Parts: sequence; C-alpha cells; structure tokens
Amino acid sequence: MMRRLFIHFLTCSIIAGFLLPETFAQGRVSTPDTLIRNVTVLTVTHGTLPNADVLIRNGKIAKVGKNLNGGNARVIDATGKYLMPGIVDCHSHSMLDAINEGSLSVTSMTRMNDVLNPNDVDLYRALAGGVTALNLLHGSANAIGGQNTVVKIKYGRPVEEFSFPGAMPGIKFALGENPKRSSFSPQPGQQRRYPATRMGVEEVIREAFTRARDYKKTWDEYRAGLARRDQNLIPPRRDLQLGPLVEVMEGKRYVHAHCYRADEILMLINLANEFGFKIKTFQHTLEGYKVAKEIAQHGAGASIFADNWAYKIEAYDAIPYNAAIMTRAGVNVSINSDSDERARRLNIEAAKAMRYGDLSEEETLKLITWNPAWQLGIHDRVGSIEVGKDADLAIWNGHPLSVYSRVETTFVDGEIFFDRQQDLARRADILKERAQLEQAEPNRPSSGGASPPTPRRRRPTNHDDDIWEGGIERP
Amino acid sequence: MPAIRLRILAALVASAFVVIPTPNFVTAQRSAVDTYAITNARVVTVAGPVIDRGTVVIRDGLIAAAGANVTAPADARIIDGTGLTVYPGLIDSSTALGMPQPSPTPTPSPGGAGAGFGQLRPQTSPLSALNSAQPPGLQPEVLAEDFIKPGGEQIEAARNAGITTALTAPRQGIWMGQSALINLAGDTSQQMIVRSPVALHVGFTPLRTGTYPNSLMGVFASLRQMLLDAQRYRQALQTYERSPRGMRRPNQDRSLAALLPVLDGAMPVVMYADREREIARALDFAQEFKLRAIIAGGLEAGRVADRLRESKVPVLLSLNFPRRTTAALPEADAEPIRVLRERVEAPKTAAKLVAARVPFAFQSGALTNMADFSANLIRAIENGLSRDDALRALTIWPAQILGVADRLGTIEAGKIANLTITRGDLFDRNHRISYVFIDGRSIDLRPEAGGAQAGAATGTWTLNVNLGSGDIAVSLVLQQEGERLRGSIQGGLGSSEIANASTGAGGDLRFTVPATFEGQTADASFAGKITGDDMQGTVNVVGRAPGSFTGTKAGAPAQPVASPTPPAEFRAAVSSNADLSKLKGM
Repeated sequence: MMRRLFIHFLTCSIIAGFLLPETFAQGRVSTPDTLIRNVTVLTVTHGTLPNADVLIRNGKIAKVGKNLNGGNARVIDATGKYLMPGIVDCHSHSMLDAINEGSLSVTSMTRMNDVLNPNDVDLYRALAGGVTALNLLHGSANAIGGQNTVVKIKYGRPVEEFSFPGAMPGIKFALGENPKRSSFSPQPGQQRRYPATRMGVEEVIREAFTRARDYKKTWDEYRAGLARRDQNLIPPRRDLQLGPLVEVMEGKRYVHAHCYRADEILMLINLANEFGFKIKTFQHTLEGYKVAKEIAQHGAGASIFADNWAYKIEAYDAIPYNAAIMTRAGVNVSINSDSDERARRLNIEAAKAMRYGDLSEEETLKLITWNPAWQLGIHDRVGSIEVGKDADLAIWNGHPLSVYSRVETTFVDGEIFFDRQQDLARRADILKERAQLEQAEPNRPSSGGASPPTPRRRRPTNHDDDIWEGGIERP
Repeated sequence: MPAIRLRILAALVASAFVVIPTPNFVTAQRSAVDTYAITNARVVTVAGPVIDRGTVVIRDGLIAAAGANVTAPADARIIDGTGLTVYPGLIDSSTALGMPQPSPTPTPSPGGAGAGFGQLRPQTSPLSALNSAQPPGLQPEVLAEDFIKPGGEQIEAARNAGITTALTAPRQGIWMGQSALINLAGDTSQQMIVRSPVALHVGFTPLRTGTYPNSLMGVFASLRQMLLDAQRYRQALQTYERSPRGMRRPNQDRSLAALLPVLDGAMPVVMYADREREIARALDFAQEFKLRAIIAGGLEAGRVADRLRESKVPVLLSLNFPRRTTAALPEADAEPIRVLRERVEAPKTAAKLVAARVPFAFQSGALTNMADFSANLIRAIENGLSRDDALRALTIWPAQILGVADRLGTIEAGKIANLTITRGDLFDRNHRISYVFIDGRSIDLRPEAGGAQAGAATGTWTLNVNLGSGDIAVSLVLQQEGERLRGSIQGGLGSSEIANASTGAGGDLRFTVPATFEGQTADASFAGKITGDDMQGTVNVVGRAPGSFTGTKAGAPAQPVASPTPPAEFRAAVSSNADLSKLKGM
C-alpha cells in the first residue's frame, strides 16, 4: 500500500518536474501582442485602408481589417493617425566604426560586419524618422569596396540581434570621381593610388574579375582532383579578396554600384554582362534618367537622392524628375539617405518625387518601402503592410508625405523601439542623471582655467560617403 | 719524504680553495650578500593565512623559507621587519617596459584622422623582424625578448611603485609581437627574462602609413587572411614532410610559422579591447579560429562579463582609468553623458569581474605616473573590490594567467625571491615602499620627495617645451603638500594637475602630467635637472618622439608689468585734439 503510494508520488513528481520548467521558465521575454486601432493603413501594395485595425502577434502582422478582436493585446488608439511600413534606407553608413579601406582599389575582403557599433545615437534618430532597416555599405573610395550588412534597427539590443535574417549578402562598387580620388591629393611622399581615370576604374574591376575567374578555376580543379582521389593535394590558397567576387559571378552576392554618369552606368552594365552577372542596384545614379531604358533592360534597381545636384562635377546633370522618369521606364527606384541627417526625413525626400514627376501616392511610398526592400532581397519580410510580414511599422501623426508629419511610434519586429511620448518623459530623468554624474568625484573639474577638449566628432555627417581614412578629413 | 708529502698535501688543500669559475646560471655579478632574512614582519604569503609576525629567508635568488617559526640563518643579513609588511612582488600584467622608445612614422599623417576611439594612440613605427614576408606591424614573429633593454626610467618608476615583474610587449603594430615576462632587475636582458614568449599580442589599430590595412575592417580582413594562410601553411608543411618527393616545397614563411602555436592553442593571444563592442569583436574573432584569448584593457569588461566567463577568457584589467584632465569653463561644451558615466563606472569593473567569476589581473595600461597606479587601486577597492582580491590580482592571478604560478606570485619556499615590503598596508593611501627584492637582491629605491631638493623645486616656473614643432610656453607651479610634491601646468599644453612630482639628489626633478598637444591628450613625463633658478631636461609624451624643455623660475611674485607708457608728445597730442599730423612718424 505504502509502496504504491510512494510510486504514485514519484511518478507525479517526475511529471511535474518536466512540466514545471515550462510554466516557470519564461525564457526570452516575448514581445507583447499589440492592436493598433482605428488608424489609416498605408499598405503600399494594397491601397489605403481608412479606420482599420492592425494586430501584431509574435513580431508579425497577424491581421489587418476592421474592428478586430485583439484578445490580450495591448491597445494603441491611433485615431486620426497613419500607419506606414518601416522605411528601408538602402544606403547608410550609420553604426559603422570605419567606412573606407582606402589603401587599395579592391577591398572585397573587408566586411562592414566587423565594425558595427550598436550604440550609435544616429540609429535612434533614424527610428524617430520612421526608418526600421538599413543597408550598411562600405564607402566609395574604391572601385571594388567591402561587403555590406543589412540590419534591423533594434537600438539597445546586442549587435547580434541587428542582423536582418535572410538578407542577401552584397558588395559595394564605386565608379567615377570618388574611386579615382579626384578631390584628394596624395600624402606628402606617397604616390597617387591607381586608378586616376575612369578608364582605370573600369580596368581595376575587369582585372579583379579576371583574377576571380582564374581563382574559381583553381578551386574547381582542386575539387575535381579530390573527386578523383589524387594524392598529396593541398587546397589552393583561400583568398578573401577574390572569394566574394566569385560569389558575385555565381549570383550569390548582390552588387550595389555607386555611379553618377550615364557613360559609366553603361560601362558597368557591359562589364557585368561580359562576366555573366547582373548589377543589383545603381547607387546615386543621378544621370540614370538618361539611360533608364538600359537600366530597366538589365534588370537593375536604382537608389537615388531626390534633388541633390551639382555638389561635384559628375552631379551637375542631376534633375529632380530622375525618380519619376526611371519609374516610368520600368526601373525599380528607391530613395536613400547616405547621411545620418537625411535618414530622419526620408518621407520628405520621397514626397519630392511626387512633386517633380507626378508619381502617384502609392508609387511614392514604394520609393522608401517596397522598392528598397526588393533591392536588398528582403521584400518577402518588409516593405508593405501585409499579413505574415514582419511588424516593422511606424505610426505617424499625419500623412507621411506631408512636411508637417512626425513619427509617434516605431515598431521593429512588433516591439516599440521609439516612442515620442516616452522620449519626452525620459528627458527629465536624463537631466537628473547628468546632474548627478557631474557631481561625482571623477567628473569634478580640477583647478586651472582651460576648457576640456571637446569630444571629437566621429566623422562629418551629410557627406557623399566620401570619407577616406588615410586622406584629408573634410571639416 | 714526509716533508714533500706534506707540501703536496698542503698544495692539494690550497688548491681546493681556488675558485674555479663556474658557469653563472643565476647572476653575472654577485652582490656580496645573497642571503637575507626579514624578521619580525607581517607576512602576506597569498598562499595561506596572513602571518602576523614572521620571518622570510632569501637565499640565492629564491625564497628559502617563510613562516612564523622560521629562524634567520647565521650568514643572513638581517632586516628588521618590525612595522613592515612583506608581500609577494607585484606583477604588472601588460606593459612596454624595456621596449625601445617609439619613433614617429616617417610619413606624417594628420593627427587622428578617421577611426579613433577608446585609448587609441597615434601609431608610431612598429618594430621590424629580419627577412620577413610581411610589412612591419604585421609580423607575428617579432619577439619582445629581442628588443629588451635593461634599466631606464620607466623600469625604475615601476619598481618604486613595488612592481617586481612585468609582462612586456611592443605597443605598435597590428600583430604587435610575442611578449616576455621579465623581472625588473638585471644587468642584461637575459637575466631579466622569466618566461618568453608568453603570448602573441594583437592591437586592432590600423597602420597609419597609408598602406593596407589602414582601416578597422582592413585590420580584421588582414588578420583573418593571415590566419587562413597559416592554416594552409601548416597543412602544406605536414604534407611535404610526409613525402617530399614529387611535391614542390612550400615557401618558408616565418610569419605564418609564428602563428602556428596560436592556431594550436598552445600560445594565448592577448587582444587589446576596451569598449564592449571591441571586446565582443575580439571574442568573435578568437572564436572564429578557436584561439585562446586574453583581453587586455577591459574598460567595459563588466558589461560582457558573462560571455567572458563562459568563454573562459581572462582579462588584464587596466588601471589607467579615464579621468577629466582639464577644468571646465562655464561656457565650455558639455561632455557627452556617456563620457561622464564611463569615468564613474571604470573603477567598478574589477568588482564586477570578481562577482561574475571572470579571472583577471591588473595592468598599468600605459600609465606613466605610477602614483595613479596606487591611487586607482585604492579607488577600485572603494568601489567594491576586496583588499584580498586586489592583492591576488597583482600577484597569484597574473602568475596563473601568464603560466608562471609555479615560480611566482606567492611567498612560498622555492619560488623566485620577488618581494614588495611596505610600511603600512599596501592599499593604504600613505603606505611607503620600504624595500623591493627582485631575484633575491635588494633594489635601490628612489627617495621620497622632500627636503632640500623639494625646496629647490617649489615655486612658479616658465617652461619652453619643444616637441618637434616649435616652442610651447608652459607655466609650471610646484608646491609641497605634506609628504607630496604637487603642482599643475597651464598654457600651451593645456591645464592639468601634477599629483606626484619627485625630486632626487643633484637637483633631479621628475613628474608626469596629462598634456594636450595637437588636439590629443596623452601623458607627458618630464625629467629635468634644476640648477639654481634654471632647469632643463627631456619630456616624453606617450606615442611621440622625445622632446626637450628649458625653464626659468619666476622670481618674487611677479610684479604686474606696467603697460608701456606712450611718449609724452603722443599723450599731449591725443588729449588736446591737437594737430594729429604730429603723430606721423611716432
């Protein structure tokens, strides 16, 4: 009798032992479900839904419709407000501790993933502008630059959580004045880096791909030798510079090519065709309207500025109708920032394309949402408000294409990473903390009269990705 | 016959007293005394409980005995340890002591252009190995032991702070070189070396010569490529050795060969990283190649403590805490809150590492003013580190991390006789280093500031400092405050405080002070000689070539210099509105 009782007790406790961890250990704190109620939903792909509800569950858009039942979801009443997909910035240098490896013309072995800084305050400011995803690119100092990284802006999280799942790997190319260092003089005592002309830029790219082709061949031969069970085989040297170029030729790595002039755009299209790959996006492409047909035929996208022009010679022929003309020609066009400052107001930049060229509202919104998502290979996850997509969203207090509108709340994977009310509420706390810290012993000023050295600015902002680490820093 | 035998016997006996020169394994120059006994002292062995009253016997460079009931041998020189505390010699786990002075890079580059964060210093020429396939700065085969020069001011300053042993490696380059653990006494570098090589040091700082890599991502790419090449090199060598016939021999490559012990995990890699993301990057990189990592610096190690513990990565924690070097004018720009937080958080890191069970040891972190070393130790204790742990982090823990726990780090019989003997507890503000023993020999310590020499130094001085680009005017004030000689500088090198100046016989004056030059702040060590109202000497700013300075003492409190009075005619002309044409030619 006692024994049976004991066995029962034992079995119960063993079962409980398995169940208890399930109930007590929550593990990762999952994002709460959210119901955004009574908001004008700009889906971008399926028109505009006035006074609709959007339910976010497990970081995804679960339901879009009217009068939804959110269950236990926290409710955000967005009456009178607008919901838009998070903006995707296709050309950014935020959160990078270095931008250009300017010592060589081909630096495909460098990876922006090695130099990420998740504490960059510009990330927070971008969230405040409704941006939720960034394409972090190498600078334009080199004909062939480094490997990019696509991130979701999860400001405050460890850097591993920023990586955008499923984004296609990419690499930066650059044509024109920047890789031929038009505006930079060599250091005293140093030779000018090759190339110094546009034909040199082309030759550098062609030469690199020729070497990559040979490199691919040696590996193919090695693998064939292994299959034949040859003796004493040593693998060829794994070359981190040529590996990514082989991936480009095999279609496994997107090329994002910085360029301005029509002639160099055509040059690169021809060169890519010669080596059997496609350019994914032309960046800046301010003369893209001149060769819109050719770009469309090649199947490339274009990622441009709305109305910047004449800041250097190759930008003289830029026109604000660029986005509209290329869109009409069938090119996938996005508008990017290439600047921490401009990233905060990409909605206005897009709106300019509506003013110049009469793009429809939907086409205009696509310039900063669905189109850049396609250009980065993440359009199955972000870029529009559709059931099943990631909940990367922003609530605006007015229509996003109006200059008076501001972001109220920004979601990434269903979690709030920016909220204007919270930010305002925190300011008093920050001031208090600062006052406390100033009083702490290590921070009290010592005697003597000079001012402390001003914190060095990390790098100039509002540039054209044209910082060269070894050169003369622009003010 | 017996007489001859007696003489032969006498000759034999006499010859027994002839000293046959034996190979000197320990010290070339034997001091007359090599047996010491420190009696009646408080002995902190770190190997067991504290001995309130005990004796430590040193013989032949080793600790012969230590304990409460040890008696001093008859031939020992007795040091009365009443009121003194005997500690194991302190170990500084990361320095550049004995390394050649950095010389500036041949190609001038604008100071600080581009990537710079944390405790980055301007790059200077890296040391070069012979016949290397790699450029200077990327030569892992550089051995610190090949470049060590004994003696010098910095070694002396370290000893005066009680440090007997230091891990030393070059500070320049990306692969900086393989470090050596040295005792800070000896006439030749060979006498100093305790263990070499200890670890391969990596700084993630781009070269500033304009050649590849000159960016942070280039640094990672080049390190990664070299390690991949080293893996291939190892495979090629093994394949070739197995059957050389019919196979082209792999090219000899000393740089890649030097990486093989690191790839095997036989030699650890010391990686310089302060910020959380720098530490994370270093750990990611080590994980990529399964390297045995040690983090040096560790300013924000407290934030990654769990990962450090799980990866079993020790930290060489720098005592060079960030400090505010100059005062704030009311209208100065506010410093970012991150900088303010960092200064307050830095002393707490040691306690956080203990709580997270991350092994660590202290290092001076390029501090040139050793008074800061002691002061910052005390601050770490005030911020949660126990005194026992602080002592361990200076003795047995570095010995364990650097692989010499069997011969250093505690006071136990048979270990190397490195001792730091203080009056007062080592972690009291007013402690004095009374004796330092290294390899069983007593070291001459610099006398404390005070007395006549200090009197000659106190006052206001006008200095002309030359750092290679013209004269810089600096005003120096020194005053005696109790036991310490303190002061400040103002003028062309910014305003900073001098916490601890020292004077020596013959008018020597030495002090270290943070100096702001060409927009960057670094420690400047002044070493000068005072003769009457003049002084002159050398100044070493961290990361630059040595400079020089001269100075004159201001006389009596400076009379306000009267502004030059205009000539009488001028005054008259101006005041009376007279014909101003009279002013022409004046």
